[in-house]
Amino acid sequence: MKRVMYYFYIAIVAFIEVLVFAWSVEAGEPMPTIIAVVIGIAMLYIGRSYVDEVTGDERTQKINEITALRTLQITWVVLFLYALWVILEAFSMGINHYNRVIGAYGFRMMFFLCCIILVYVILSLYYNKKYGA
Amino acid sequence: MKNRIRMYRAMHEVTQETLAQDLGVTRQTILAIEKGKYDPSLFLAYKIAKYFNLSIDEVFLLDSLDD
Repeated sequence: MKRVMYYFYIAIVAFIEVLVFAWSVEAGEPMPTIIAVVIGIAMLYIGRSYVDEVTGDERTQKINEITALRTLQITWVVLFLYALWVILEAFSMGINHYNRVIGAYGFRMMFFLCCIILVYVILSLYYNKKYGA
Repeated sequence: MKNRIRMYRAMHEVTQETLAQDLGVTRQTILAIEKGKYDPSLFLAYKIAKYFNLSIDEVFLLDSLDD
């Protein structure tokens, strides 16, 4: 399959996903959308293996690595600042008038941020070990 | 790092597209290497040199160790 055909294939899959999503909203059934997204991702991966042309190489891999790292770094900072701002909002009426709903939202975000950092550290240790450290 | 890929490509009458296909990389990668915007891995550098039946130092030129 040519690369252009693959892009066409992606468009068709995306269109079907939108249709399933619309039907899900109409029917009030969230499950079909979740299943459709999983199947859609699998179809894209399978479809990509049929592309004859070279779609990626060491340069694109390097670009992906740098892009992913920068995205992660920016996400950490933005998410941390936002979570901090939300937590401070919960205390905006004073320490005795702590807003539990807003506070819980902020602390949940902080927790997810810590999870992301933890996953990063674990993967970093794993790959360090794998590549000779 | 500078290189003579464009020159050897012209000598062998090979297009960027053909070279990329034969080396299993994208045409954009060949273009980036020729322009000096991307330094290939040692493996790809070997493949490029071997493609033209040359050694790496005949294709790639190191200006300084700070490169």
